[in-house]
Amino acid sequence: MKKNIVYIGSLLLVLGSIFTACGPEARLDMVGMFAGTSPKIDERFEESKVYNDQHGFTTLQAPVDDYRVYVCTDTHVTKTQTRWTYFIDTYRQDPLCPVAVHLGDIIDAQNYFDEMYSAYQAVPLNPAKKDTLMAVAGNHDIYFKQWPEYIKYFKTCYYYFVVETPSGKKDLFVVYDSADGTVGSKQLQWLRETLEWADKQDFRHIVACTHTHFFKRDGSQGHTSNYTQEETYALLNLFEKHGVDMVWSGHDHSREITQVKDMTCIVVDSMKDEDKKPFYMLVTMGEKIDYEFISVADVR
Amino acid sequence: MKKLFLILTLVSLLTSSMVMAQVQPGDTQYAVSLHAGYGHNLTYGSYANFDIDAYLPINKHFDMQANVRTSTANVHTMGVQLRPKFALPVGELYVEDRLMLRFVSRDSFRDFVHALSVGYMMQYVNVQVGISNRIITPLPYTNHSEDGMILEPFDAVYRVEAFVRPQSAVWNISLCVSNMDNYQVERMWQPMFYLGGWYDINEHWRVRISGKMKLAGMFHLNAHYYGAELRAGAEYRF
Repeated sequence: MKKNIVYIGSLLLVLGSIFTACGPEARLDMVGMFAGTSPKIDERFEESKVYNDQHGFTTLQAPVDDYRVYVCTDTHVTKTQTRWTYFIDTYRQDPLCPVAVHLGDIIDAQNYFDEMYSAYQAVPLNPAKKDTLMAVAGNHDIYFKQWPEYIKYFKTCYYYFVVETPSGKKDLFVVYDSADGTVGSKQLQWLRETLEWADKQDFRHIVACTHTHFFKRDGSQGHTSNYTQEETYALLNLFEKHGVDMVWSGHDHSREITQVKDMTCIVVDSMKDEDKKPFYMLVTMGEKIDYEFISVADVR
Repeated sequence: MKKLFLILTLVSLLTSSMVMAQVQPGDTQYAVSLHAGYGHNLTYGSYANFDIDAYLPINKHFDMQANVRTSTANVHTMGVQLRPKFALPVGELYVEDRLMLRFVSRDSFRDFVHALSVGYMMQYVNVQVGISNRIITPLPYTNHSEDGMILEPFDAVYRVEAFVRPQSAVWNISLCVSNMDNYQVERMWQPMFYLGGWYDINEHWRVRISGKMKLAGMFHLNAHYYGAELRAGAEYRF
């Protein structure tokens, strides 16, 4: 009798967990842990390539040589979007900012893309300037079969953009998809070709932007996974060899700055509405790249 | 922190050496094995591995193992495991002290891992859990300070392995999930899946074959194939 109670109790617990994990209000796609429900990276690459081939890549004009880039990550938008809209409003009001970057996990789980986009649209535009928000796919953005929704709003998962300053200096920003913990073989080849092409140009700085972080240096990464080791070293070597100055990533929810030879790898803090220590990163792209972290803890 | 890590590593090595110095050779068998393997992953494409392993039982309470792998992917590994063990009424409890040095020459990195774990081996099941730490060093390493090193001070290692027959059987098949093997210690959220088996031809020769599957993004909750390896070889016991 005792055994039966334990057995039935365990069974109910397991079934309850599966139901909670897979139901309409679920936050975590437990099925995706073993069999990804969004297309794998090489398929996402191919789908994005169609868009990239048709539309090409963007060159933005900076208002000054020492312009600013606003960088945030892991907003995990749900039913509230307070800090997400604050971030949009802040970079839109800055006359020195031609572009902002979101490093992934824009939404928290399924069904929140519409809320995220409505909130984005609701923030008043600044008529005095034109600005752009560049996005990176995070794992929360694509699991639960959310890839079709992601691409509906953001069109592509890999691209680069160039920011040109009034004196003709150019900075290259390479954006790549690591939303399922790998860059895959096709995107890796694209990264190689893009950085080889960049070697022949006269870029002032090269910055790589993605979601997944390279290292597992402290306890904050207890809940987040990395690339495989093979890919960690391959990407670091590739970036370092081609003179990438910085790699910006998120995923960890906690800031970490690691120097790898001449390259600085920055993990930016998360900016969820529920976070007690939320920050975004304000970068000044000048002769050297300066960055500081701005708290949004008071934004509630 | 890095100094503490080095001190802990030295202390654990010293402790193991002391244990070794106190034990006498037993009657268990030494073994040398040679394996070749084919692998594929999204980063390297196809590659081949060649492994030499030596198993050195010092006595019934202590054994050690040395592993060397060279790969056409230009990744080369050497490792040593020191394993004090204690027989229980059922099964065997062991402590494993694993040191591993990998030269990821293709990408100019060196990776040194120390893993300390506790395991419980039974006839049908082997379970192991512990902690690991890692020092990543970009190559060439010309700066003799700590600045060039990246320390990952705390991570977990684990292994859960099940056998279809008792381990003393002439042939066996095993299923395993672990984030470490003799040639790689991955981060804790990067499990690897193994299917393997052996057959004892006679008292000296054993043939082994095993497969390994690595998924990417399991804990990104969008898991997909990353890589696989097939490995086969022979072991000579004497």
